[in-house]
Parts: sequence; structure tokens; C-alpha cells
Amino acid sequence: MDLESTYEIDRVAGFISARGFRRVALQFPDNLLKDSTRIVAALHEKLRSFSQLHAGRNGDAKDVKLYVMADTMYGNCCVDEVGASHANADCVIHYGHTCFSPTSTLPAFLVLGKASLNVPLCAQTLCEYTIKAGKPILVLYGLEYTHTITEIKASVGAQVCSELEVHYADIMSPIITPPENCSSMNEQPELSDGQCANGCSIEVNDATYCVGGLKWSLPVGHRIEDYLIFYVGSDDPAFANILMTYNACEIVRYDATEDNLVNDFSQQKRILKRRYFLIEKAKDASIIGILVGTLGVAGYLHMIHQMKDLITRAGKKAYTFVMGRPNPAKLANFPECDIFVYVSCAQTALLDSKEFLAPVITPFEAMIAFGRGSEWTGAYVTEFRDLITSSPMEAKNQSEARFSFIQGGYVEDVEQQEVEEVEDGVSALVNITEKALRVRDKDSQTLMPGTAKSGAEYFATRSYHGLDIHPENNFSEPFLIGKSGRASGYKNETAQKS
Amino acid sequence: MVKFTAEELRRIMDFKHNIRNMSVIAHVDHGKSTLTDSLVAAAGIIAQEVAGDVRMTDTRADEAERGITIKSTGISLYYEMTDDSLRNFKGERNGNEYLINLIDSPGHVDFSSEVTAALRITDGALVVVDCVEGVCVQTETVLRQALGERIRPVLTVNKMDRCFLELQVDGEEAYQTFQRVIENANVIMATYEDPLLGDVQVYPEKGTVAFSAGLHGWAFTLTNFAKMYASKFGVDESKMMERLWGENFFDPATKKWTTKNTGTASCKRGFVQFCYEPIKQIINTCMNDQKDKLWPMLQKLGVTMKSDEKDLMGKALMKRVMQTWLPASTALLEMMIYHLPSPSTAQKYRVENLYEGPLDDAYANAIRNCDPEGPLMLYVSKMIPASDKGRFFAFGRVFAGKVSTGMKVRIMGPNYVPGEKKDLYVKNIQRTVIWMGKRQETVEDVPCGNTVAMVGLDQFITKNATLTNEKEVDAHPIRAMKFSVSPVVRVAVQCKVASDLPKLVEGLKRLAKSDPMVVCSIEESGEHIIAGAGELHLEICLKDLQDDFMGGAEIIKSDPVVSFRETVLEKSTRTVMSKSPNKHNRLYMEARPMEEGLAEAIDEGRIGPRDDPKVRSKILAEEFGWDKDLAKKIWCFGPETTGPNMVVDMCKGVQYLNEIKDSVVAGFQWASKEGALAEENMRGICFEVCDVVLHSDAIHRGGGQVIPTARRVIYASQLTAKPRLLEPVYLVEIQAPEQALGGIYSVLNQKRGHVFEEMQRPGTPLYNIKAYLPVVESFGFSGTLRAATSGQAFPQCVFDHWEMMSSDPLEAGSQAHQLVLDIRKRKGLKDQMTPLSEFEDKL
Repeated sequence: MDLESTYEIDRVAGFISARGFRRVALQFPDNLLKDSTRIVAALHEKLRSFSQLHAGRNGDAKDVKLYVMADTMYGNCCVDEVGASHANADCVIHYGHTCFSPTSTLPAFLVLGKASLNVPLCAQTLCEYTIKAGKPILVLYGLEYTHTITEIKASVGAQVCSELEVHYADIMSPIITPPENCSSMNEQPELSDGQCANGCSIEVNDATYCVGGLKWSLPVGHRIEDYLIFYVGSDDPAFANILMTYNACEIVRYDATEDNLVNDFSQQKRILKRRYFLIEKAKDASIIGILVGTLGVAGYLHMIHQMKDLITRAGKKAYTFVMGRPNPAKLANFPECDIFVYVSCAQTALLDSKEFLAPVITPFEAMIAFGRGSEWTGAYVTEFRDLITSSPMEAKNQSEARFSFIQGGYVEDVEQQEVEEVEDGVSALVNITEKALRVRDKDSQTLMPGTAKSGAEYFATRSYHGLDIHPENNFSEPFLIGKSGRASGYKNETAQKS
Repeated sequence: MVKFTAEELRRIMDFKHNIRNMSVIAHVDHGKSTLTDSLVAAAGIIAQEVAGDVRMTDTRADEAERGITIKSTGISLYYEMTDDSLRNFKGERNGNEYLINLIDSPGHVDFSSEVTAALRITDGALVVVDCVEGVCVQTETVLRQALGERIRPVLTVNKMDRCFLELQVDGEEAYQTFQRVIENANVIMATYEDPLLGDVQVYPEKGTVAFSAGLHGWAFTLTNFAKMYASKFGVDESKMMERLWGENFFDPATKKWTTKNTGTASCKRGFVQFCYEPIKQIINTCMNDQKDKLWPMLQKLGVTMKSDEKDLMGKALMKRVMQTWLPASTALLEMMIYHLPSPSTAQKYRVENLYEGPLDDAYANAIRNCDPEGPLMLYVSKMIPASDKGRFFAFGRVFAGKVSTGMKVRIMGPNYVPGEKKDLYVKNIQRTVIWMGKRQETVEDVPCGNTVAMVGLDQFITKNATLTNEKEVDAHPIRAMKFSVSPVVRVAVQCKVASDLPKLVEGLKRLAKSDPMVVCSIEESGEHIIAGAGELHLEICLKDLQDDFMGGAEIIKSDPVVSFRETVLEKSTRTVMSKSPNKHNRLYMEARPMEEGLAEAIDEGRIGPRDDPKVRSKILAEEFGWDKDLAKKIWCFGPETTGPNMVVDMCKGVQYLNEIKDSVVAGFQWASKEGALAEENMRGICFEVCDVVLHSDAIHRGGGQVIPTARRVIYASQLTAKPRLLEPVYLVEIQAPEQALGGIYSVLNQKRGHVFEEMQRPGTPLYNIKAYLPVVESFGFSGTLRAATSGQAFPQCVFDHWEMMSSDPLEAGSQAHQLVLDIRKRKGLKDQMTPLSEFEDKL
């Protein structure tokens, strides 16, 4: 396929000039970076021709500036608004796989790309499967196959294969416009009609479902569990997201590159079970790190606040970290954290943290773990916007000791009790000093994950506290000016090199 | 039908000298529950006629079905003694009424945690021994446990009826058997003797041994017979008792006592002549229905039968006659009241074992004096499921003060540390209850020295706890119980219907509460695991879980899962090195196996992170041949900071080493919990930090760089030191007749077991076999063994040690390799082990 149609140069140029954007950021994932120069050239060409048309009329045509962005800080699927604002861009054109997460400040245009698909074979397989299934079928697809769906639809319709109904999901509009009042977006996002998140909003007639840019509606009285899901696409995060969200449904995947049907997802089921284990593990944690995994997805700030609030109410300590994409080495710099909550878009949230010192969980899992009395029932939500509750969930005041499946017994959440107690200022002060003055057993300075209640307490149990202070030789040391700059190359070092 | 009311019972509870708290302990199938029945019958809770068949204390349906006791059951009994029978009682007493708080315990080794719980709240133990089988494995175990808790034992030689009916042995032979049983028991008791408890051995001539036939409801001590004959011979009772046991012979022809058998035909041992023969005669006449002979004999003994009983025939007649002549309750009760301590006596010496705090504070004194006016000290030893599903009674013993309905108590859990708020609650007791077999009676309050059940605390007590009065903030808790078995057999459970998951979770919580020995946990893979002491224990737990705690929701259980350990065979072939992610730091390490016995010493807590370094290095130097200085350089133990692996610093003069110690320790805790082979715990590996190269800027050698590197270098050193798997091994003890030995050997061979001791029990055709059997092979072992020996052999399995599997797990196709693959598959890990090259870096 040629560049023009694959990357929808026409539509993009139309979008830019119609809205009159002057500075446009083009965001590429690493695998498409090789095409970026050609795309930019093509776009320039196109825009120039558009502007000449306009200029003929108004005469105030200015050049549209295009910026190419690569190496995104977080997931490739999200619109990198921070990166775009570095270039002072008015809008972002996003190329490649996307998660359709709404933006908070900049309008965005999503170019989905087009992957080839053997349409007759796929339609054939779908037909055969429909006959076998005996249940209504719901067809979902990877976004790069959107352009083929109409063909498949027609092809299946032509082969009259079954009286059973086949539903097709629709694609959402590729143009994402942030709400007018962007500050309110971060405080309290409202789910507008076009932007319903995962899960469903019951309308008058039909239940509408949206996931990762796809949306569909089911007739009244039908539940998603009654359907078989037929997915066209590759085994990528988008599919994993669907698997997790609809784990109660039967799902098959048509692999477009191999042209075959895959229906063994024991590995995915295993992931679900492992997530369950992580929830149990999170219940035992006392220090929790909140990892900011996005600076763009609408409502992220609200989610972080909500998480903080939830954790504090559960009597645990929360710290917030902004560190780009997490990796084991980065997170191991904070060994005091027993668990991390990763606030990010739905498709990057599921992080396999086997190699990490402390596991990383999603906000949904955190809600189950830290909201006392809530149990996991099997339903799974990856999109954090579905979790935002206008009225904060009441942490149930259960007085029974909590059962920890990690330790295999009942355990006591100390802080929980202390939070309950309403104390006047004086006695609170007395309590704090009492604790501060407690004699510590010198030999018991062994670090045990989960025992420290705050970063400071953890630090106190470490064997190394930084520089030793020798009170005996207290003569004054000469005052030296230290190094400055960044660790990768201090100022004096670079000076030497050059 | 019940001869006494709750009010009467409550009244005697105040007479602390008239209380006996006792547990019935024995090997499995030696007749505890049956014997208990006859005591309960005498108290009037069940009819005398059915005593021996009901098994009053087996309250669960499955207990009755299997004919074994699973849970220990408490029962409060009230007896009124006659003045006559108390004539010789020298101790303190308060009237003739006695309260016996009796706890029947299970004999199967899988349930020995129940025995531990029972012993904690009693002061005396009735040890039941089968006269034919003699002292068995479990007899020894429970005796050791009892003496460890300073519980005074008395012995009863049970199943006497087998001597008369089954074996038909003559008097002298029977005497020899009994003598041997008692001697064997005494040998054990002498081994575990405690100076404070004094002489705990038992002597028939002192009345601390009874002879009983639980099934037929009769029993005697030598006191019974001594009383009978004392007047006849014109000597006092104690003198007569001595003559009825040991080397005392009587010749009716000469009417002379001698200390040697004179050799004449009529000369017989005192015991045989005056105890054994008369009983034998009565039984024989009954069994042969020689009623014309029987009545005069009974008259002579002063036994009168009711007229309707006279029509009975054979066995029924014999049972009735014996019950009337030598009622089990009288003999046993007398023995208990005379020879077992009252709470006020027992607590004087038990206080040291019980109380954790200083032994001169108010609480220790109140326990010591069994002071009902003192501060409340109550130990909850177990949780009993109540009839309304999901709730529990907290069952325990009041050691001091009084506990009453509506009282506000401080609940100190097992993790409570005085002065802190951890594991501490203040709550109201809704109701105090006493147990009378299958019924519960509510009472206003219960004073010290008694057992009690409480309602309304189950939410706050997890397994056991110490209760005190709300105000007693400086009280220390009562010492936690130590269990002799550990949960080694595990199964994974899941619910059939996925949406039942909350039910399963709730059920597992309840199960964990109801049984102190079961551990409910979750695996990395998200599977729920139930761990129990043995196969039978697990079976019972699963049944309870499904029926009682999950309301019948169906569950699927996996095959039993055995956990392994990872260890090393030799020292690493070379020093391995790993680089940090930024390549600026290098860690060099070696692994070596620990000296023999060191891992066990760490397990036992003889060596641990909290030791005084001087003491530790002394032990290490003297027992394990360590260098004295090296012993001071142990960085940590792991996993969980106390496990049987360690990191030792062998570096010399490395800069910034102290800075990365915490990070290396963190990496080690992580790695030792999930070994490189199959992510099983490591065991018995000593990691030596040989050298460290660090970046000169602190920012480049932070935790993020060092922790993952430490983990990698530990794995690399494990893999270069000939890694091996350790498997758990049971010690199996089997008792069987000679003809079954062939079957036992073949089954053991088939299951990779090996016998290391075979001993004939003197005087019996029975053999005692001790063998080691891998836990993996033990599933279905009892069944196979029963089939191979036509039911004559019954094994008892207890976890004993970890054994190294000789095959190399790194060599494809070996047994250990296959095992590793299986474990990895179960855990959902990558199929193949991560190769060494992933962990080790080259310069």
C-alpha cells in the first residue's frame, strides 16, 4: 500500500488546515519512525497545496510548522501532550497503535494505519466458526484492521452461512478534542457521550460498550457473557486488554499474519490469576508507591489523588513517583515500597512485574486491595476512568483482623486501628513522642519487607545511614564547592572534554 | 436423665481443690473415646448400658463414621464421692463433690495439634495404653508433650477384655505383659522428667496405674482389690497394695507370702492370685452362662444384680456383671482425684511454663495461687465451630480471676508485644458457656481453674490468645503453644464455579481459624493452597471447608503438592561476577553448602539474626569449625531474614561496601525465597561476597543498581555450585505382626522408602519398623500398605528432614530435571530454567 493511503495524508492535511493549526506535532512510535521523513514531506506538500487554495482567497497564509516526536516518555499508544507542548504545538497527529485515551489539553488526530488482511479467508473462518458456535457472535478487531471490516461484513453477508446474528463493533471518531474547560477535566472528568470509557453506560434502549476505540451496543436483555467474541488482530496489549476485561466470555482470535484461529488463552487466564495474587500481596503492603504513568490521559490527576486518598484511609503510606516508563532498576531505587500502583492508560497498565523487586498493580487492583471489605469477583477493569467515583468509596470499618493469604494467617493492620481513634491534640502528641522514644533493639536491625510503616522508619532500620557524623572531632572542615550538573556528565567533566 | 444441672456444676467451680482438669491421651485406636464414654456415663449424661458404643465425645458425623477422634472435645462432669472412698485422701478438699473437666483428644498423629491445645488447658493426663499393642509411637509423642507442659500423667492399661476373651493368656503371662507396658511408659516418662514436677513415673502399687476394659465399661486399680483383701488378711491397705504387684507370691496351700516363686504348683504371684484369676473366673462363668455358679460368687463379692439383668446371656451378661462389680468410673475417678493435681496445686509449678512476664508480678502470683479474686488470666487454646455456621466459640482455661458474661476483656493475640498496640483488642464477652458433651449451658461467670467457652470473641481471636481484664494494661500474655507437627502436605483448591471465589476466600479464613495447624495461603500463580499435617488431616480440612465453611459450594482440589528446597552440593567452581544495569558496579560471589547440621541449627533458632554475635561466633567456631572472625561477618539470614541461608562478607578493604550492604541483603532475601532452579526456597547455602567494585558516585551505586545485580550474582553462584533439590522426607513408624513384614518391605521399596530399624516388641509377635519415606511418595501410602498387609499394618508419618536428591537438575532428562520442569509448569514460569549466562557477566 502506498504512503498516501496508509497514513491518510489527505485527511490529516484536511484536519490541520480546516482547524487552522499552525504548529503541529507528529508523534511516531519507534517502528514507524523510518517513515516519518516521507510523511512529513508528503504532508508539507499537501498542506502547501491547501494553503495555496486558501491564500488565493485570503492571502494571509502562513507555513504550518510540523514537528516529529519520537521516544515517547510513557506508552506509545497515548498522545504525548507534554512532548507536544515542548514544541508549543496546537495539536498532535498520532501515528500507529493507539489506546484512544482522551487527551486533557490538546486536540489530537489518530492515524490508525492499515495492515493487510486476507479478507476472504478471514470471512470464511468467521463463517465456519459461527456455525460451530451456536451463540451470537461479536466481532472485534485490532485498529489497524478497521479498513477491512466493511469488506469482511460484506463477504460474510454474501455467504449465507447461518441464521445466527453477527455483531460488528464500530470505530470511534479518530479526532479527539479535549473538553473546553481543561482544568475541570483533571478535577472531575465527565463522561461525555462520545467518550464513554470501558464498561457500559446503560442508555434507554441498548447497552453500549466501548473498549480501546471500539464501541458497540447490545440489544436490551443481552449480556456480554452471552456472546462469543471473535477478534481479528495480533496478540498485542489491545487484545490483552479485551481478554482481561471480558474474562468471562469465550474469545477466539483470528491471527491476521498467520491466517489461523487461536483459542488457547491459558497463559492469559494465568495472568488473571497472577493479578489476583498481586491483589492479595498488595493487602499486606504498608508503603505504596504511586507511579505516574501518564501525563496526558484525561483524569489522571484526579486518579492519583483518589489513590492517595484511598491509601491513606487504609492506614498506609503513599509516595508519588514520576519516572517515565518503569523498569526494575528504577523501581529498585525505592526498596521501601512494598508495592507500586501504576496510573496509566488501559493498555500499558498491565505490567508483568516478575523481574521487579516490588510488584506493580493497576488502580483497579489497588481499589480492591485497599478498600476494605471489597472482594474480587472476577470482573476486571483496566481503564482507570471507569474507577473514578464521584463519591469516594467508604473504606468499611471492619474490626475483624484481616486474613493474609500471603502469610497464611490473620494479621493485624496496626495503623488501621490508630486511624480509627479520634484523639485530641495533646494525647496524640504524647503517643507520637512515646513512639519516638522507644528503645530499638540494636541487633534486630534487619530489613524485612512490609515491616516499616513509612520511608523514615525504613531508613532507620537500614544499616547505612549516609555519612557518619563524628561528634568527637568537631573542628571545622574547609568549605568546598562540589560538582554540579547531571550525573551522566558533570559540568567540570564536559569542560575537560571540550 | 442428666444427674446434675448447670447450677450445681457452677457451684463446685468455686471449690478449686475439688476440680480436676484432665485430658485423655493415647496412640490412635487405644480406646480413649470409648473409655471416656464410661466416665461420662457415670456422670449420668448417657445411659450406662450404651457406654462404650456411643463415643459421646465424637461429636462430628465423620468422627463417628471413621471411628476416630478428629477434634478434641471438652466435657464437664460432676461426681459426688462417698466419704468412704475419700477416707485415705490426704490433699485439700472441700466437701465430697468433684468437678472433672475432661478433654478427649485425637490419637492420630495428623491431629496432634489438638492434643497440644488440650494439654495446655489441663493439669493431668490419663494415658491410655492398649495392653496388647503396648506403648506406641504416638504414646511416646503425647507423653513427651504432656511432660513438656508439666502435665502429671496417670496410666491405664486398656483393652483388658482382649486378654481374657481374645488371647486367653494365663495370669503370669498377662502380668509380664502389663509389667512391660508400664515399664516402657516409665522409661519415657523418666527421660522427660522435670525436677519441679517430681517423680512422674507410674506404679500400680501406688494406685497410679489402672487396668481397664473401655469397651465393657469396667476398670480397677489395685486399691479396689487391696480394700477387699485388707481386712481378710488383717493388714492395712497400703501394705496389701504392695503385695498385689511385683515380686510377691502367695501360696494358698501354706497361706504364706514369699518374695520368690517357691516352685509349688499352687504358688502364684499376688496379682495373679488375687486380681487376675478372680476376674478371669467371673468372665468365664458369665460367658459360659453358668449362672448357678455365678450368683454365689457375686454374692461373695458383694455384687447385687437387678432382676431384669439376671436374664441377660453371654457377653451382655458379662458386661453388666463386670460393670456392676468394677465400674470403670469409680476406679478411674478415684485415681484421678487421688493422683492428679487440682488447679491450685498444678498452677504453682506450671506458672513458670505459662507466663511470659516477670514471675513476681501480680499476674504471675494470681496464676500461682489460682486466685479467683486476682486479675483475670485466661488462655484461649482453640476455636470451636458453633452450630450456626461461621461463628466460633473461644475455648480455653481460666488461670486466674473470673470471667463473666458481658465482661470487657483485653485480647492479646500471639503477636502482641507488651506496651504496643499490635494484635490487641478490647471487647465484650457476649456469653460464657460450659460444655456438657453435645450440649452447652450458659453460666453467669466462670472462676479460675476451669475450662470455659466464650461467645462473641471469634472475630478478634485468630487461633489462640490471652485474655485479661480491660484495665490490666501491664499484663504479659501467656506463652504461645508449640506444635510438634508441621504442615507439609499441600493441595491447591479452586471453586468449580468462578463466581464462588468470595465464598472460597471466606471459607478458607474460617478454616484457618478453626484449626491451628492448617495454613491457607496463596501461590505466586494465584492458586489457593491449603497445607495440613498429613493426608488425613487435609482430607478432613477439605471436607470441613466444603460442607461447613462454604455452604456446600463445590471445590476442585489438585493433587497434593509438595514443596522442595534448592541447595548446592559443592563450592562454586569459580568466582562469578555480575554487572549492574549501568555496568559501573561489579559483584563477585561464591556459593558453598553449609556445614552439616547448621541449617537445622538455624531452623531451631539456635543460630539466628538476633543472637549476640559473640555467642553466635562461639557456636559456629566450636560446632561447625568456622573461623572466629568470619563468624562475625555474617550479613544476614534468609529468606524472611531468619531462613537457613546466609551471606558472608569475605571482602577485604572495599570502599563503600557498607553502603551497598542493605541492597545486597534485599537482593538476597528476594533470591533465597525464589531459587534459580524452580523458584523454591533455598536451603543450606552460604553465599560469600568475594569482591565488589563500585562506582565512585553514590548515585550510580544505589539500590536500583545493586539489588537486581545481587540477585543475579546469587543465582549465578548457585548455578555454578552444583545445584541440587532437597525433598521432604517422612519418618514412618509401622507396627505389624511378622507375617505382614514382607508386604511392608515391598510397599516401602516401591515407594523409594528405606527401613532403618526393625525391632521385635519383646513378648509380642509384633514388630516395630522405622523407615524414611519421601513425602512425594506418601500419598496413598496408608491405603497401599493396608491392601498389601490385609489391614495389619498402620503407618504413622511425621515430617523428619530434607533429603538431597542425587540427580543433577541441570542435566536434561534426569529425574530432578523433570521435577524442576513440573514445578515450573505448575507455577506458570517459563518452561526452561534461565541459563547461567543470563546471570553471569564477563569482564
